[in-house]
Amino acid sequence: MSGQATPAITCQNVWQVFGANADSALKRALSSTGSADEAAALLRAEGLTPAVQDATFEVQEGELFVIMGLSGSGKSTLIRCISQLLPGTGGEILIEGEDIRAASPKRLIEMRRKTLGMVFQHFGLFPHMSVAENVAYPLRVQGMGKKQRLAKAQQVIDLVGLGGREKNFPRELSGGQRQRVGIARSLVADCSVWFLDEPFSALDPLIRRQLQDEFLDIQAKLKTTIVFITHDINEALKLADRIAIMRDGKIVQIGTPSDIVLNPVDDYVREFSKDVAKGQHARVASVMQAGSDLPHGPDDPGLRRDMTLDAALARCMELYEPVPVRDKDGALLGVVNPADLAAALQVDPAA
Amino acid sequence: MTRLSKGSIAALIALAVGALCLALEGVAPWLIAFPKGWVLPATEWVGSAMEAVLALIKPSARLFSSLMAYPMEAANWILGATPWPLLIAATVALAWRLGGLTMALMAAVGLGAVLASGYWPQSMNTLALVSVSVPLALLIGGAIGVLANEYPRVRAPVQALLDVMQTVPTFAYLTPLLVLFGFGPVVGLIASAIYAAPPMARNVLLGLQRIEPEIKEAAIMAGGTRTQQLFQVEIPAAATQIMVGVNQCLMAALSMVIIAAVIGGFDDIGWEVLLTMRKAQFGASLLAGMVIVIFAILIDRMSGTLADEKRRSYDGRVSLAILGIGVIASLVFYGQVQDPGAYGLFHSTADRVDAGLSAFTSANAEALTAIKNGVMFYVLLPLRIGFDQAVLPFTWGFVWTSGMSLALFGVAALVGLYCAYRGRLTFGVVILIAAGMLETGISQLPWPFVLVGVGALSYVAGGLRLAALSVVLLATILLSGLWERALLSLYLSGASVFACAVLGGAIGLASAVSPMVWRVVRPICDMLQTIPLFVFLIPVLMVFQIGEFSAFLAIMAYAIVPMIRYTRHGLTETPEEMIEAATASGATGWQMMRDVRAPYAAPTILLGLNQTILYAFAMLVIAALIGTTGLGQSIYLALGQADVGLGISAGAAMAILALIADRIVQGFAEERRKALGL
Repeated sequence: MSGQATPAITCQNVWQVFGANADSALKRALSSTGSADEAAALLRAEGLTPAVQDATFEVQEGELFVIMGLSGSGKSTLIRCISQLLPGTGGEILIEGEDIRAASPKRLIEMRRKTLGMVFQHFGLFPHMSVAENVAYPLRVQGMGKKQRLAKAQQVIDLVGLGGREKNFPRELSGGQRQRVGIARSLVADCSVWFLDEPFSALDPLIRRQLQDEFLDIQAKLKTTIVFITHDINEALKLADRIAIMRDGKIVQIGTPSDIVLNPVDDYVREFSKDVAKGQHARVASVMQAGSDLPHGPDDPGLRRDMTLDAALARCMELYEPVPVRDKDGALLGVVNPADLAAALQVDPAA
Repeated sequence: MTRLSKGSIAALIALAVGALCLALEGVAPWLIAFPKGWVLPATEWVGSAMEAVLALIKPSARLFSSLMAYPMEAANWILGATPWPLLIAATVALAWRLGGLTMALMAAVGLGAVLASGYWPQSMNTLALVSVSVPLALLIGGAIGVLANEYPRVRAPVQALLDVMQTVPTFAYLTPLLVLFGFGPVVGLIASAIYAAPPMARNVLLGLQRIEPEIKEAAIMAGGTRTQQLFQVEIPAAATQIMVGVNQCLMAALSMVIIAAVIGGFDDIGWEVLLTMRKAQFGASLLAGMVIVIFAILIDRMSGTLADEKRRSYDGRVSLAILGIGVIASLVFYGQVQDPGAYGLFHSTADRVDAGLSAFTSANAEALTAIKNGVMFYVLLPLRIGFDQAVLPFTWGFVWTSGMSLALFGVAALVGLYCAYRGRLTFGVVILIAAGMLETGISQLPWPFVLVGVGALSYVAGGLRLAALSVVLLATILLSGLWERALLSLYLSGASVFACAVLGGAIGLASAVSPMVWRVVRPICDMLQTIPLFVFLIPVLMVFQIGEFSAFLAIMAYAIVPMIRYTRHGLTETPEEMIEAATASGATGWQMMRDVRAPYAAPTILLGLNQTILYAFAMLVIAALIGTTGLGQSIYLALGQADVGLGISAGAAMAILALIADRIVQGFAEERRKALGL
């Protein structure tokens, strides 16, 4: 995976331990035990909480990386380590090649102003500021003049579709509108690394889907690097380039959506993908076998590697003739076209 | 019955120690009265230590006091020299802006009444003190709150300090301030700033800590420096809570400025109340008291709107117009505006009140004396010195014999045994202990019994640590020689708290059951909570003269409010689902109250009791002005003699009693809350 270009984010053996003297306790635990699991067990026995254990992964520039897990699995803690809202207890975190854990407070502020943006589950809007002031706040702390920053804020407000709401206060907005403000605020400073902590979890299902689609549009336009947290497998599969699944502070699997659905590493991951309509997410490539001696016959349904299984199945079904439908005594009632069967099972033909 | 509960064991131990003390009374009298020889001269130590410290900081204190004299004189001059039409117009304009027509009318009528009373100049002197002490208190309190928020390490000590500052009775720190700053209004100013700073600090800290974590994180991720985060995001986001602090700070400052009038030397409205009270001109003192109440209500309601989240602002142009009218009126009538002190619209009323009062008291002298003596002889005195001394032929008509003591204990033992038989052992033992306390009297309880009893109660409420704390603190009082006075204070506040609990609980229950009752009770409660402590003394003094009974009534009037409020609140706040479940099970209204609402309300009611106890202790010291014995009196005496050692020690003893009572009741409330899973 890791190519020649510097990854946008590199996490190397990141730990976040809560409790008294966590730093020294972690060092002791790591040096006295062989594996991360043993070290975590030792820390737990000492009454500490290893909320993130030995997390290692890279996120490439422009990649949409989703971290998924149940509540309490450490995903919010991990994203707070990377954004340095929590200091982290061990390991190395590089943002665009720079060690953020070693950055001075001044440099950290600099990086937050120029490089990092974040969206929060419960929006984190400033209650005493209007929509425009909220969105412009990251520019205000940089000392930009009022006129200039409000003009810049206006662009992002229009981008997220909140034009006309600039003068409203957060309490006057609906949940979906509030999160649009949150998104606009995190975008206003042109960040290149974007953290989203369960941004759509607090919203109604319909609004959630709408915002997911808009989010994908924005991402297509801006091409920023994204770390996205969610507990919803369908959201993860819909958005992600790659998904990391966390359990009890550990990353148990990292892979593309179809990897996760088709090759779960353990029962925990399998449990997640149980309710997922696999045909929508897995591609033909994932079930394709090598082979070249197939003759080019007349009954080729025209499959391609990147088709979803649902679409491929529908194509194959089109090769069949209509089949009979009977009652329990065997009398003919009618016919069904297998292609219609396959089509009826697909959830969203637009996908 | 297999194992004894924690409560039963504690009660049995206390009973055993108490019985032992009574039995050994003849052999070892030192069990009852703590021997004087064992007392350490702690009061003198505290006095000399404090005097040494005070002498050290005295020069800088005096410098500070001479510096503070400037803003004070300036405020005094501005308020005194501004023509009253302008001041009234400005206040009404502000009231309009804050609360619209109702508020503006309230301000106009209130200030009009103050003007008509002829106490305008004195009121302006009081306001001048408040207007200097409040900014000082806001600054100090705000800074403490922000610092405690910024440095988690100092948070616990700061919280403890704030607790102490609020439990130490107000008079107690007037004495060292008096020594430090000398006589004069600056002492009142500084005392009120010290008294008013803690609520501000508390609310600032609370507000800052209650901000949603994500709002703070958003400010960090926006790239703000710590200063930017604090001043641009966190403090504005906590504004509502901080405004609650401003409101409480204002009220505390006003209350303390008036209390500080006992030092004298400043012609303010508190002094006026004190003076007229001493001269027994109750009509006039009631009038002055009314002026204080008007200011308290105006300040409270006007600043209260700031803390209202749904506040709307009213048209500023109306305010400007009102102000304009004031300016024009002042200019046009400048030469003719009468000296505001010369109005005496209510003088005749005050005189008539005086006359009417004398007529009333002399006409009903017998009934009033009967009430007073009845409560004194049959309730307060037995509580204080026990049946064995309070029951005399002169009052009760017979002599208390040892046979009667035996009968009392016998009946108590029978009831206790019956309770134990029914499975409520703890309750039975407590009945027996109560009988013993009635026989002996609270002020003459053997000290080992008090130590063990309070220790046992603390253990049940909050575990070993609380028990150790209570016993050590009580032992400090014992060794410092303030024990008898502490027991006297305990008796009077205990009696008042008990009366408040019964009466307040009943009123709270009635208010919870009937909205009609609450509609009457609520404004009275609001009123009683706004009135500065001092004013409570006037009406009781008018009717019942100086004495313990008047003090008892004044304490009750002040301390009953939280009991009413919390009882009602607890009983009406039962979740709707629980009510529906009980209704669906077929519970009657009364069953619902007994089985669902009351148990659910228990923690809230206990918190109300806790507040009532703290209120009672606060009032106890003020009530010393109209004749109580005990620690309050010592504190008041120390103030008169500038005896720092006695003032501080007695104040500390008072704070210790309040603290122990507070922790024990909080412990029980916490336990109930846990049991209910809240």
